[in-house]
Amino acid sequence: MEKQNIPEPVPFKFGKKLKTYLGIAAGIGLLALLIAVFVQQLPSERIWANLWMNALMFLFLGLGALFFWTVNTLGESTWQINFQRVMESMGLTIPFAAIFFVLAFPGLKDLFEWTHTEHLDRILQEKTPYLNMPFWMVRFAVYFILWSFFAWYLRKISVKNDFEPHDKYLGRLRATSGWFIVFFAISSSTAAWDWLMSIDAHWFSTLYGWYIFSGMFVAAIAVIILITIAFKKFNILPNVNKEHLHDLGKYLFGFSIFWAYLWLSQYLLIWYSNIPEETVYYVERVNNYKTLFYMNLIINFVVPFFALMTRGSKRQPLYLAIVSLVVLLGHYLDLYLAIMPGAVGHENASIGLLEIGLPFFYLAVFLTLFFISFGKAKPVPENHPYAIESSSYENI
Amino acid sequence: MQVSQVREPLINGEKSYENITSDVMAPVRAKPGKLWFLGFGISALVMLAGFAAIAYTVWFGIGTWGVNRTIGWGWSITNFVWWVGIGHAGTFISAILLLFRQKWRTSINRAAEAMTLFAVMCAGLFPLIHMGRLPLAFFIFPYPNTRELWVNFNSPLLWDVFAITTYLLVSLLFWYMGLIPDLGTIRDRMKTLWKKKAYNFLSFGWKGSARHWQRHESMSLVLAGLAAPLVLSVHTIVSFDFATSVIPGWHTTIFPPYFVSGAVFSGFAMVLTLMIVTRRALNLQEYITVGHVESMNKVIIATGSIVGIAYITELFMAWYSGVEYERYAFINRAMGPYAWAYWIMMTCNVISPQLLWIKKLRRNLTFTFILSIFINIGMWFERFVIVVTSLHRDYLPSSWSMYKPTWVEVAIFLGTFGLFFTLFFLFIRIFPVIALAEVKSVAKSSARKFIRKSSKKSKPENE
Amino acid sequence: MKNIIYGHFTDDHDLLEAVKALQEKGIHIADVRTPFPVHGLDTVLKLRRSHLPKVAFIAGVIGAVLMFSFQYWVFTEGWPLNFGGKPYSSILSFIPATFEITVLFAAFAMGIAFLLRSNLGPGSIPDILDEEVTNDHFQIILSEKDNTLSETELAEALEATGALDVKQVNTKK
Repeated sequence: MEKQNIPEPVPFKFGKKLKTYLGIAAGIGLLALLIAVFVQQLPSERIWANLWMNALMFLFLGLGALFFWTVNTLGESTWQINFQRVMESMGLTIPFAAIFFVLAFPGLKDLFEWTHTEHLDRILQEKTPYLNMPFWMVRFAVYFILWSFFAWYLRKISVKNDFEPHDKYLGRLRATSGWFIVFFAISSSTAAWDWLMSIDAHWFSTLYGWYIFSGMFVAAIAVIILITIAFKKFNILPNVNKEHLHDLGKYLFGFSIFWAYLWLSQYLLIWYSNIPEETVYYVERVNNYKTLFYMNLIINFVVPFFALMTRGSKRQPLYLAIVSLVVLLGHYLDLYLAIMPGAVGHENASIGLLEIGLPFFYLAVFLTLFFISFGKAKPVPENHPYAIESSSYENI
Repeated sequence: MQVSQVREPLINGEKSYENITSDVMAPVRAKPGKLWFLGFGISALVMLAGFAAIAYTVWFGIGTWGVNRTIGWGWSITNFVWWVGIGHAGTFISAILLLFRQKWRTSINRAAEAMTLFAVMCAGLFPLIHMGRLPLAFFIFPYPNTRELWVNFNSPLLWDVFAITTYLLVSLLFWYMGLIPDLGTIRDRMKTLWKKKAYNFLSFGWKGSARHWQRHESMSLVLAGLAAPLVLSVHTIVSFDFATSVIPGWHTTIFPPYFVSGAVFSGFAMVLTLMIVTRRALNLQEYITVGHVESMNKVIIATGSIVGIAYITELFMAWYSGVEYERYAFINRAMGPYAWAYWIMMTCNVISPQLLWIKKLRRNLTFTFILSIFINIGMWFERFVIVVTSLHRDYLPSSWSMYKPTWVEVAIFLGTFGLFFTLFFLFIRIFPVIALAEVKSVAKSSARKFIRKSSKKSKPENE
Repeated sequence: MKNIIYGHFTDDHDLLEAVKALQEKGIHIADVRTPFPVHGLDTVLKLRRSHLPKVAFIAGVIGAVLMFSFQYWVFTEGWPLNFGGKPYSSILSFIPATFEITVLFAAFAMGIAFLLRSNLGPGSIPDILDEEVTNDHFQIILSEKDNTLSETELAEALEATGALDVKQVNTKK
């Protein structure tokens, strides 16, 4: 292994230029929303559905990153240490996702059929012990309180070890990660039922929670890759090398396949058994969203599968960044297909200025929060007992 | 690659490369002891009894079994799924853990993969016997019969044929390719000429050339990449056997990933059962350490919890779906005539592995051994619950029925244990139980104390 | 007639140093034999990356195309049958078997290519110079044919790196 010249790390500063860019992005998003509401006067359910979709994506990035970090910690893996702070800081955006959800609350009646308690059919009446507003709200609060707590507490321990190094912190980090994973394993499924599956309130699928989780995980990895590559480029994380990108690329590749596997499992079983209660979900999507339905599969599976198959492709920062961006957009589309057919209906749903513009606002807020959190701690954890392993490994 | 000082060593004791060779080779070189002959003899006898029961079935027909028109799949398919599940650990360890750079895999992958092969062989027997006419088993392969009719590619049972066959063949390839260098090592240590020749034949003339190693590594990595989705696909397709149908309790979309997780869960339990005994018997405690057992226990708790969540998800969705048949199927599981099977499954698979959250228990060999047997039992009952409990209450109450195995079915099941252990006993005498070359490659960074032989001639300018 | 000079080390790190030292003198190394894949050796020896993954990819594509078109043919041309009201060309139904055959083709093509390319296989007789290579010897083999230096000079150069048991053999081949 040849020693590479590692440049001096540049301290991260959330500068004026960056702030201006983010401000412009946020402005574009808000403008798109205002135009949609006042100029285009789009139907209210389409507006609410968009707010809902972006809030979910906002949450997915933070939650997915937190999961990635904790699962690596728990697995005693160490290669991620050199860019661990990226994931920590992404996790800290979780509580703000709650705000975006709450902002969309006035639209719940437009989004969820089961909230119309005055005229529910027999099936929905039977579901009321689970699908009722008070219980739903309690679950909402519990998810966010616990997720935010874990994100905050794990970060706190991690940063504490920078200043007063002690082995007990790693132990505590692992133990807390364990508790988080246990809670996450349950809550990721139930949250997916609450916020996505119950849009199509009559429909059900046992796999749904895991399917949404896999998409979330891939989207989060795509963003971790994009941020890490940018930070490497500006020498904020000079210790990130091709090996880290290679491994991140493998995750993106592998879990894109995993996502496709779950997609196929769910679709194939429902298609094969051909039970009307279940097929209704796909009939709507295949008939009325034909292009998007198949594009979803191509962008999220075929593209990363062929684009990231070779070794070299994962070690080429720019190339990997482009693929990650494509996959991230792909998972937006996946979310779109999960929400719109049920919440808006094919007569009103389409991809227009609102769908393209609004994400810029959420992205800008996400990055702003991320940069603020990232700037508050050292860019790389110090005194981590395993730190050496992250800088000195090689892929075969 | 540097390894942190804090990390627990993978190999205990003071080891040099030479020590590793002689330690691992000892069982191959030594004459088998009394215990080995005893174990081998019993296994072989049980295996023969099982074959006799199979012959009995083929001669007299499936009527000798307890299955009936309502419960057409009894113990046989239960055993099939159970064995296939166990056969998932080996390739999971050698392929997926390779991709995840889990170095502890090097001490157990060889034996676990051998176990995989034997388990898949046992599994493959059951559908063949179940078809009734064993000599006509080749009917399952796609060839046009006399009416030029082909097999039904729409059927998950046929997908199974492809999946199991491919899995067996690719696992065999992966396992054997890994064995080649180690067989070369044995060849060079053998003194008698015929043994040398035999092992040279088996080792394909391995000589350890740098170019060969480079290709070998590159191949292993790609094989791992191919085997990883293959492992997932096999139990996925087994789950399709059930899930594509419209039978309540069978048709549920979570089946594919949940079956895979359950398979890895039961496979690791079996690996633990075997390795805890093997490491003692073959004196390999320094290579298969308590740390290895703990790592495997962690996989067990992860996969076991996933299985537990899947059980609860199924239960919840049965209620949430509002489908009365689905609801009945699950109430019947928990409170019907076969409730005892359901509760054995729940206790063994969901509750007992949770004890492994306690570090002391994770590192306790006796506890782990007992728990691994519990899990094996629990996972067998999971398949029993899925197969028998779901079938015995039909849509038509007039065809409701009960099922009890006959001695023939029991004998065949025990016979597969005989087959499994016979092959395993032979394996530990002929092949190295631990992947020698792979352990050597991690010895320097991961042994508790590595003895570095002073390799160079002492040169004045160096010292 | 090929004159071969060889010697060994008992540590992988020493081997790497020696290989580098020999290369600095411009000596071509015929072969290096080790008990396990030494990390970094292939870069030092400048071995080009193996093409085996490409073999696997091509064979996998062939397997996938063959299996898929075969199933498609059977159900649309060969003998179309109605199974549960599904269309004759049920692409979803063809995926599992296609996947399995893809993996099977890729894995075995690669395995066979590896053996052929490396001249390994049942019945292959290796030219073993030192039986301890499969135990703990890391052997360097030099060939007079590839180098301008004479046999004794090569042996001296190898000795100078600290190699043990430097020997010369003439193999008639």
